[in-house]
Amino acid sequence: MSTTFQLNGETCRFDGDPMTPLIDLLRCQRFMTGTKAVCREGFCGACTVNVEGEPVLACLRPVGLLEGLSVMTIEGASRYDAEAQLLQAAFERVDAVQCGMCFPGMVMSLSKFLRETPRADRNAVKHAMVGNICRCTGYERIVDAVMECLAEAHSAGGADV
Amino acid sequence: MHGIVEERLIVAETIEEARDALRQGRAVLAGGSWVMRAPVRGQALPERLVSVGRIAALSRVEVEENEYVIGAAVTHFALTEALRDVPQLTGLVTAAATSANPAVRRVATLGGNLCCVDFAASDFAPALLACGALVYLETAQGPATLPMAEFLARRAEVLPRALLTGVRVPRSVRASAHQRLPMRKAGDYPVAIVSMAICGGELHIAVGSVEPIARRWTVLEQALDGRTLNPERAAELAATLNDFKGRDGIEADGWYRREVLPALVRRCTAALLSGESK
Repeated sequence: MSTTFQLNGETCRFDGDPMTPLIDLLRCQRFMTGTKAVCREGFCGACTVNVEGEPVLACLRPVGLLEGLSVMTIEGASRYDAEAQLLQAAFERVDAVQCGMCFPGMVMSLSKFLRETPRADRNAVKHAMVGNICRCTGYERIVDAVMECLAEAHSAGGADV
Repeated sequence: MHGIVEERLIVAETIEEARDALRQGRAVLAGGSWVMRAPVRGQALPERLVSVGRIAALSRVEVEENEYVIGAAVTHFALTEALRDVPQLTGLVTAAATSANPAVRRVATLGGNLCCVDFAASDFAPALLACGALVYLETAQGPATLPMAEFLARRAEVLPRALLTGVRVPRSVRASAHQRLPMRKAGDYPVAIVSMAICGGELHIAVGSVEPIARRWTVLEQALDGRTLNPERAAELAATLNDFKGRDGIEADGWYRREVLPALVRRCTAALLSGESK
Protein backbone atom coordinates (compact mmCIF):
# COMPACT_ATOMS: atom_id res chain seq x y z
CA MET A 1 0.00 0.00 0.00
CA SER A 2 1.41 3.33 -1.06
CA THR A 3 0.26 6.51 0.64
CA THR A 4 0.57 9.92 -0.96
CA PHE A 5 -0.12 13.15 0.90
CA GLN A 6 1.05 16.75 1.04
CA LEU A 7 3.78 17.45 3.58
CA ASN A 8 4.42 21.15 4.16
CA GLY A 9 3.14 21.84 0.66
CA GLU A 10 5.17 19.17 -1.12
CA THR A 11 4.07 15.76 -2.30
CA CYS A 12 5.18 12.94 0.01
CA ARG A 13 4.89 9.32 -1.06
CA PHE A 14 5.34 6.54 1.48
CA ASP A 15 5.65 2.89 0.48
CA GLY A 16 6.33 1.36 3.89
CA ASP A 17 4.08 -0.17 6.54
CA PRO A 18 0.83 1.87 6.55
CA MET A 19 0.59 1.48 10.35
CA THR A 20 3.84 3.42 10.79
CA PRO A 21 3.13 6.34 13.11
CA LEU A 22 3.46 9.66 11.29
CA ILE A 23 5.98 10.78 13.92
CA ASP A 24 8.42 8.06 12.81
CA LEU A 25 8.11 8.96 9.13
CA LEU A 26 8.74 12.63 9.94
CA ARG A 27 11.71 12.14 12.22
CA CYS A 28 13.40 9.02 10.86
CA GLN A 29 12.82 9.29 7.13
CA ARG A 30 12.25 12.97 6.45
CA PHE A 31 14.59 14.13 9.24
CA MET A 32 12.05 16.69 10.39
CA THR A 33 13.06 16.57 14.02
CA GLY A 34 11.08 19.63 15.08
CA THR A 35 8.18 17.30 15.87
CA LYS A 36 9.13 15.57 19.13
CA ALA A 37 8.45 11.96 20.07
CA VAL A 38 7.94 11.93 23.84
CA CYS A 39 5.13 9.92 25.45
CA ARG A 40 3.91 8.17 22.29
CA GLU A 41 0.45 7.75 23.77
CA GLY A 42 -1.33 11.02 23.15
CA PHE A 43 -0.88 12.59 26.57
CA CYS A 44 1.93 15.12 26.14
CA GLY A 45 1.20 16.86 22.81
CA ALA A 46 4.89 17.22 21.87
CA CYS A 47 4.26 15.54 18.49
CA THR A 48 1.31 17.76 17.49
CA VAL A 49 1.12 18.47 13.76
CA ASN A 50 -1.71 19.83 11.64
CA VAL A 51 -3.62 17.45 9.38
CA GLU A 52 -6.02 19.30 7.10
CA GLY A 53 -5.41 22.31 9.32
CA GLU A 54 -6.45 20.49 12.52
CA PRO A 55 -3.93 19.85 15.31
CA VAL A 56 -3.58 16.10 15.84
CA LEU A 57 -0.99 13.82 17.43
CA ALA A 58 1.58 12.38 15.03
CA CYS A 59 2.34 9.49 17.42
CA LEU A 60 -1.23 8.19 17.10
CA ARG A 61 -1.71 8.80 13.37
CA PRO A 62 -0.92 5.86 11.08
CA VAL A 63 0.55 7.08 7.80
CA GLY A 64 -1.90 4.83 5.93
CA LEU A 65 -4.80 7.07 6.97
CA LEU A 66 -3.26 10.18 5.39
CA GLU A 67 -3.97 9.40 1.73
CA GLY A 68 -4.81 12.63 -0.11
CA LEU A 69 -4.55 14.79 3.01
CA SER A 70 -2.40 17.79 3.86
CA VAL A 71 0.09 17.66 6.75
CA MET A 72 1.88 20.68 8.22
CA THR A 73 4.72 20.27 10.72
CA ILE A 74 6.48 22.91 12.83
CA GLU A 75 9.02 23.27 10.01
CA GLY A 76 6.28 24.22 7.57
CA ALA A 77 4.37 26.35 10.07
CA SER A 78 7.53 28.36 10.79
CA ARG A 79 7.65 29.28 7.10
CA TYR A 80 4.02 29.54 6.08
CA ASP A 81 1.83 30.15 9.15
CA ALA A 82 1.66 33.77 10.37
CA GLU A 83 0.14 32.84 13.75
CA ALA A 84 2.81 30.22 14.34
CA GLN A 85 5.48 32.82 13.65
CA LEU A 86 3.82 35.25 16.08
CA LEU A 87 3.77 32.57 18.76
CA GLN A 88 7.38 31.57 18.23
CA ALA A 89 8.50 35.20 18.57
CA ALA A 90 6.39 35.72 21.69
CA PHE A 91 7.65 32.51 23.34
CA GLU A 92 11.20 33.68 22.79
CA ARG A 93 10.45 37.22 24.00
CA VAL A 94 8.90 36.13 27.32
CA ASP A 95 11.50 33.38 27.79
CA ALA A 96 8.91 30.61 27.73
CA VAL A 97 11.20 28.06 26.09
CA GLN A 98 13.61 26.00 28.14
CA CYS A 99 14.32 22.42 27.07
CA GLY A 100 12.29 22.87 23.88
CA MET A 101 10.52 19.51 23.87
CA CYS A 102 6.99 20.84 24.28
CA PHE A 103 7.39 24.08 22.35
CA PRO A 104 6.80 22.87 18.74
CA GLY A 105 3.64 21.02 19.80
CA MET A 106 2.41 24.06 21.71
CA VAL A 107 2.87 26.23 18.62
CA MET A 108 1.03 23.72 16.43
CA SER A 109 -1.89 23.48 18.90
CA LEU A 110 -2.13 27.19 19.59
CA SER A 111 -1.67 28.69 16.11
CA LYS A 112 -5.06 27.44 14.95
CA PHE A 113 -6.57 28.56 18.28
CA LEU A 114 -5.06 32.01 17.86
CA ARG A 115 -6.44 32.29 14.33
CA GLU A 116 -9.94 31.21 15.28
CA THR A 117 -10.31 32.67 18.76
CA PRO A 118 -8.90 36.20 18.66
CA ARG A 119 -10.95 37.31 21.70
CA ALA A 120 -9.86 34.46 23.95
CA ASP A 121 -9.19 35.03 27.66
CA ARG A 122 -6.58 33.26 29.79
CA ASN A 123 -8.99 30.53 30.75
CA ALA A 124 -9.77 29.74 27.11
CA VAL A 125 -6.04 29.60 26.34
CA LYS A 126 -5.55 27.11 29.18
CA HIS A 127 -8.38 24.95 27.84
CA ALA A 128 -6.77 24.97 24.39
CA MET A 129 -3.47 23.80 25.96
CA VAL A 130 -4.99 20.87 27.85
CA GLY A 131 -3.19 18.34 25.66
CA ASN A 132 0.24 20.00 25.74
CA ILE A 133 2.41 19.31 28.75
CA CYS A 134 5.45 21.41 29.76
CA ARG A 135 7.82 20.23 32.50
CA CYS A 136 10.22 23.19 32.52
CA THR A 137 9.10 26.78 32.54
CA GLY A 138 5.55 26.50 33.80
CA TYR A 139 2.35 27.29 32.04
CA GLU A 140 1.71 30.86 33.16
CA ARG A 141 4.59 32.24 31.12
CA ILE A 142 3.40 30.33 28.09
CA VAL A 143 -0.10 31.71 28.59
CA ASP A 144 1.47 35.19 28.93
CA ALA A 145 3.05 34.72 25.50
CA VAL A 146 -0.26 33.70 23.94
CA MET A 147 -2.02 36.67 25.56
CA GLU A 148 0.65 38.96 24.07
CA CYS A 149 -0.05 37.50 20.64
CA LEU A 150 -3.77 38.07 21.09
CA ALA A 151 -3.14 41.67 22.15
CA GLU A 152 -0.87 42.17 19.11
CA ALA A 153 -3.52 40.79 16.81
CA HIS A 154 -6.06 43.23 18.30
CA SER A 155 -3.82 46.24 17.91
CA ALA A 156 -2.91 45.23 14.34
CA GLY A 157 -6.58 44.82 13.49
CA GLY A 158 -7.59 48.22 14.95
CA ALA A 159 -9.94 49.12 17.78
CA ASP A 160 -13.56 48.11 17.94
CA VAL A 161 -16.00 50.90 17.13
CA MET B 1 7.17 -9.21 0.92
CA HIS B 2 5.76 -6.26 -0.93
CA GLY B 3 2.37 -8.01 -1.22
CA ILE B 4 2.18 -8.58 2.54
CA VAL B 5 2.86 -4.90 3.24
CA GLU B 6 0.22 -3.91 0.67
CA GLU B 7 -2.47 -5.89 2.44
CA ARG B 8 -1.82 -4.83 5.99
CA LEU B 9 -4.33 -1.95 5.97
CA ILE B 10 -7.27 -1.54 3.66
CA VAL B 11 -9.60 1.46 3.69
CA ALA B 12 -13.25 0.48 3.43
CA GLU B 13 -15.65 2.78 1.59
CA THR B 14 -18.85 0.93 2.54
CA ILE B 15 -20.23 -0.98 5.53
CA GLU B 16 -20.34 -4.13 3.39
CA GLU B 17 -16.62 -3.87 2.57
CA ALA B 18 -15.79 -3.41 6.25
CA ARG B 19 -18.02 -6.29 7.29
CA ASP B 20 -16.40 -8.58 4.72
CA ALA B 21 -12.93 -7.57 5.85
CA LEU B 22 -13.91 -8.30 9.45
CA ARG B 23 -15.09 -11.74 8.38
CA GLN B 24 -11.66 -12.32 6.83
CA GLY B 25 -10.08 -11.72 10.22
CA ARG B 26 -9.07 -8.09 9.93
CA ALA B 27 -9.15 -5.86 13.00
CA VAL B 28 -11.19 -2.66 12.73
CA LEU B 29 -9.25 0.60 12.76
CA ALA B 30 -11.23 3.72 13.62
CA GLY B 31 -9.43 6.88 14.77
CA GLY B 32 -6.40 4.87 15.86
CA SER B 33 -5.89 6.71 19.15
CA TRP B 34 -6.14 3.49 21.19
CA VAL B 35 -4.62 0.87 18.91
CA MET B 36 -1.59 3.03 18.11
CA ARG B 37 -0.58 2.87 21.79
CA ALA B 38 -0.12 -0.89 21.59
CA PRO B 39 3.70 -0.69 21.43
CA VAL B 40 3.97 1.40 24.63
CA ARG B 41 1.69 -1.12 26.34
CA GLY B 42 4.06 -3.87 25.24
CA GLN B 43 1.52 -5.26 22.79
CA ALA B 44 1.74 -5.89 19.06
CA LEU B 45 -0.37 -3.97 16.58
CA PRO B 46 -2.89 -6.16 14.73
CA GLU B 47 -1.39 -7.83 11.68
CA ARG B 48 -4.21 -6.94 9.26
CA LEU B 49 -6.64 -4.08 9.61
CA VAL B 50 -9.54 -2.39 7.91
CA SER B 51 -10.10 1.33 8.35
CA VAL B 52 -13.75 2.44 8.71
CA GLY B 53 -13.14 6.18 9.06
CA ARG B 54 -14.03 6.98 5.45
CA ILE B 55 -17.39 5.20 5.39
CA ALA B 56 -19.83 8.07 4.91
CA ALA B 57 -22.74 6.14 6.43
CA LEU B 58 -20.84 5.78 9.72
CA SER B 59 -19.93 9.46 9.96
CA ARG B 60 -23.41 10.97 10.29
CA VAL B 61 -25.35 12.40 13.20
CA GLU B 62 -29.05 12.53 12.40
CA VAL B 63 -32.12 13.55 14.31
CA GLU B 64 -35.02 11.24 13.52
CA GLU B 65 -38.57 11.34 14.80
CA ASN B 66 -37.90 9.16 17.84
CA GLU B 67 -34.11 8.91 18.04
CA TYR B 68 -30.80 10.61 17.63
CA VAL B 69 -28.69 8.43 15.33
CA ILE B 70 -24.92 8.67 15.81
CA GLY B 71 -22.58 6.79 13.49
CA ALA B 72 -19.68 4.78 14.84
CA ALA B 73 -17.07 6.86 12.97
CA VAL B 74 -18.30 10.18 14.38
CA THR B 75 -15.45 11.79 16.29
CA HIS B 76 -15.79 13.32 19.73
CA PHE B 77 -15.41 16.75 18.12
CA ALA B 78 -18.01 16.08 15.44
CA LEU B 79 -20.50 14.80 18.01
CA THR B 80 -19.97 17.91 20.13
CA GLU B 81 -20.53 20.18 17.12
CA ALA B 82 -23.60 18.30 15.92
CA LEU B 83 -25.45 18.08 19.23
CA ARG B 84 -24.26 21.07 21.26
CA ASP B 85 -27.60 22.84 20.74
CA VAL B 86 -29.67 19.91 22.02
CA PRO B 87 -30.06 20.75 25.73
CA GLN B 88 -31.54 17.32 26.54
CA LEU B 89 -28.24 15.70 25.54
CA THR B 90 -25.98 17.95 27.61
CA GLY B 91 -24.63 14.85 29.40
CA LEU B 92 -23.59 13.08 26.20
CA VAL B 93 -22.17 16.27 24.70
CA THR B 94 -20.17 16.92 27.88
CA ALA B 95 -18.78 13.38 27.68
CA ALA B 96 -17.65 14.02 24.10
CA ALA B 97 -16.33 17.53 24.77
CA THR B 98 -14.29 16.84 27.91
CA SER B 99 -12.71 13.44 27.36
CA ALA B 100 -8.94 13.09 26.76
CA ASN B 101 -7.58 16.27 25.11
CA PRO B 102 -8.46 18.33 22.01
CA ALA B 103 -6.05 16.57 19.63
CA VAL B 104 -7.36 13.13 20.64
CA ARG B 105 -10.99 14.31 20.41
CA ARG B 106 -10.39 15.33 16.79
CA VAL B 107 -9.62 11.75 15.73
CA ALA B 108 -11.08 9.43 18.40
CA THR B 109 -14.50 8.07 17.45
CA LEU B 110 -17.61 6.97 19.28
CA GLY B 111 -17.29 3.45 17.91
CA GLY B 112 -13.61 3.16 18.73
CA ASN B 113 -14.30 4.30 22.26
CA LEU B 114 -17.02 1.70 22.82
CA CYS B 115 -15.06 -1.11 21.17
CA CYS B 116 -11.98 -0.76 23.41
CA VAL B 117 -12.83 -3.66 25.66
CA ASP B 118 -9.98 -2.96 28.08
CA PHE B 119 -10.71 0.76 28.39
CA ALA B 120 -12.57 1.21 31.68
CA ALA B 121 -12.48 5.02 31.68
CA SER B 122 -14.69 5.59 28.62
CA ASP B 123 -16.84 8.70 28.99
CA PHE B 124 -19.30 7.55 26.33
CA ALA B 125 -20.15 4.27 28.07
CA PRO B 126 -21.83 5.77 31.19
CA ALA B 127 -23.30 8.70 29.23
CA LEU B 128 -24.98 6.34 26.74
CA LEU B 129 -26.05 3.92 29.49
CA ALA B 130 -27.80 6.75 31.31
CA CYS B 131 -29.54 7.86 28.10
CA GLY B 132 -30.84 4.35 27.37
CA ALA B 133 -28.98 4.07 24.06
CA LEU B 134 -29.17 1.09 21.74
CA VAL B 135 -26.07 -0.20 19.96
CA TYR B 136 -26.34 -1.13 16.27
CA LEU B 137 -24.15 -3.83 14.78
CA GLU B 138 -23.67 -5.35 11.35
CA THR B 139 -23.10 -9.09 11.46
CA ALA B 140 -22.74 -11.84 8.88
CA GLN B 141 -26.43 -12.62 9.52
CA GLY B 142 -27.46 -8.99 9.01
CA PRO B 143 -28.09 -6.02 11.33
CA ALA B 144 -28.39 -6.60 15.08
CA THR B 145 -29.32 -4.38 18.00
CA LEU B 146 -28.24 -4.60 21.62
CA PRO B 147 -29.09 -2.47 24.64
CA MET B 148 -26.01 -0.59 25.81
CA ALA B 149 -25.59 -2.63 29.03
CA GLU B 150 -25.74 -5.92 27.15
CA PHE B 151 -23.29 -4.67 24.53
CA LEU B 152 -20.80 -3.65 27.22
CA ALA B 153 -21.11 -7.00 28.97
CA ARG B 154 -20.81 -9.10 25.78
CA ARG B 155 -18.62 -6.98 23.50
CA ALA B 156 -15.47 -9.09 23.86
CA GLU B 157 -17.42 -12.06 22.55
CA VAL B 158 -19.51 -10.13 19.97
CA LEU B 159 -17.04 -7.76 18.34
CA PRO B 160 -14.76 -10.25 16.54
CA ARG B 161 -17.78 -11.11 14.38
CA ALA B 162 -19.71 -7.82 14.32
CA LEU B 163 -19.08 -4.30 13.07
CA LEU B 164 -20.42 -1.59 15.35
CA THR B 165 -22.22 0.85 13.04
CA GLY B 166 -23.57 3.35 15.58
CA VAL B 167 -25.85 4.09 18.49
CA ARG B 168 -29.37 5.41 18.76
CA VAL B 169 -30.39 7.61 21.67
CA PRO B 170 -34.13 7.88 22.34
CA ARG B 171 -35.64 11.33 22.11
CA SER B 172 -37.52 10.53 25.31
CA VAL B 173 -34.40 11.82 27.13
CA ARG B 174 -35.61 15.02 28.80
CA ALA B 175 -32.42 16.09 30.55
CA SER B 176 -28.95 14.70 31.18
CA ALA B 177 -25.69 15.52 32.94
CA HIS B 178 -22.16 14.12 33.10
CA GLN B 179 -19.53 14.59 35.79
CA ARG B 180 -15.99 13.23 35.62
CA LEU B 181 -13.06 13.45 38.01
CA PRO B 182 -9.59 13.41 36.43
CA MET B 183 -6.52 13.80 38.66
CA ARG B 184 -5.53 16.92 36.77
CA LYS B 185 -8.18 19.46 35.81
CA ALA B 186 -8.37 17.90 32.36
CA GLY B 187 -6.43 15.88 29.83
CA ASP B 188 -6.08 12.53 31.59
CA TYR B 189 -8.29 9.55 32.36
CA PRO B 190 -11.02 10.18 34.91
CA VAL B 191 -10.85 8.41 38.26
CA ALA B 192 -14.62 8.12 38.28
CA ILE B 193 -17.55 9.26 36.14
CA VAL B 194 -21.22 9.75 37.00
CA SER B 195 -23.80 10.28 34.24
CA MET B 196 -27.47 10.95 34.82
CA ALA B 197 -30.45 11.25 32.51
CA ILE B 198 -34.18 11.56 32.86
CA CYS B 199 -35.69 9.24 30.27
CA GLY B 200 -39.45 9.05 29.90
CA GLY B 201 -39.91 10.23 33.50
CA GLU B 202 -37.34 7.80 34.98
CA LEU B 203 -34.03 8.83 36.52
CA HIS B 204 -31.11 6.81 35.18
CA ILE B 205 -27.70 6.92 36.89
CA ALA B 206 -24.61 5.28 35.38
CA VAL B 207 -21.07 5.05 36.71
CA GLY B 208 -17.92 4.66 34.65
CA SER B 209 -14.23 4.12 35.38
CA VAL B 210 -14.83 2.77 38.92
CA GLU B 211 -15.31 -0.86 37.91
CA PRO B 212 -13.86 -2.47 34.77
CA ILE B 213 -17.18 -2.06 32.94
CA ALA B 214 -19.53 0.91 33.31
CA ARG B 215 -22.93 0.09 34.80
CA ARG B 216 -26.18 1.59 36.02
CA TRP B 217 -26.46 2.35 39.75
CA THR B 218 -29.86 0.74 40.12
CA VAL B 219 -30.11 0.74 43.92
CA LEU B 220 -29.55 4.49 43.95
CA GLU B 221 -32.02 4.99 41.11
CA GLN B 222 -34.66 3.07 43.08
CA ALA B 223 -33.96 5.00 46.28
CA LEU B 224 -34.33 8.31 44.48
CA ASP B 225 -37.30 7.26 42.39
CA GLY B 226 -40.35 9.39 43.05
CA ARG B 227 -38.51 11.80 45.36
CA THR B 228 -37.84 15.41 44.61
CA LEU B 229 -34.25 15.49 43.41
CA ASN B 230 -31.91 17.25 45.77
CA PRO B 231 -28.10 17.20 45.34
CA GLU B 232 -27.30 16.83 49.06
CA ARG B 233 -29.88 14.13 49.62
CA ALA B 234 -28.71 12.28 46.50
CA ALA B 235 -25.12 12.36 47.79
CA GLU B 236 -26.18 11.06 51.22
CA LEU B 237 -28.00 8.15 49.62
CA ALA B 238 -25.04 7.51 47.31
CA ALA B 239 -22.78 7.17 50.37
CA THR B 240 -25.22 4.73 52.01
CA LEU B 241 -25.90 2.67 48.90
CA ASN B 242 -22.40 2.52 47.47
CA ASP B 243 -22.20 -1.03 46.08
CA PHE B 244 -19.22 -0.49 43.78
CA LYS B 245 -15.97 -2.45 43.93
CA GLY B 246 -13.32 0.02 42.79
CA ARG B 247 -10.64 -1.17 40.42
CA ASP B 248 -7.02 -0.42 41.26
CA GLY B 249 -5.25 1.47 38.50
CA ILE B 250 -2.39 3.79 37.72
CA GLU B 251 -4.47 6.94 38.29
CA ALA B 252 -6.05 5.85 41.57
CA ASP B 253 -6.67 2.97 43.95
CA GLY B 254 -10.03 1.27 43.95
CA TRP B 255 -11.07 2.63 47.35
CA TYR B 256 -10.57 6.19 46.17
CA ARG B 257 -12.64 5.72 43.01
CA ARG B 258 -15.45 4.43 45.24
CA GLU B 259 -15.01 7.18 47.83
CA VAL B 260 -15.51 10.06 45.37
CA LEU B 261 -18.82 8.78 44.03
CA PRO B 262 -21.13 10.60 46.49
CA ALA B 263 -19.47 13.94 45.64
CA LEU B 264 -19.82 13.24 41.92
CA VAL B 265 -23.47 12.28 42.45
CA ARG B 266 -24.05 15.60 44.25
CA ARG B 267 -22.40 17.55 41.42
CA CYS B 268 -24.18 15.58 38.72
CA THR B 269 -27.58 16.03 40.37
CA ALA B 270 -26.97 19.77 40.63
CA ALA B 271 -25.94 19.87 36.96
CA LEU B 272 -29.00 17.87 35.95
CA LEU B 273 -31.29 20.24 37.83
CA SER B 274 -29.62 23.35 36.45
CA GLY B 275 -29.36 22.03 32.90
CA GLU B 276 -25.61 22.47 32.91
CA SER B 277 -22.79 19.96 33.07
CA LYS B 278 -18.99 19.98 32.74
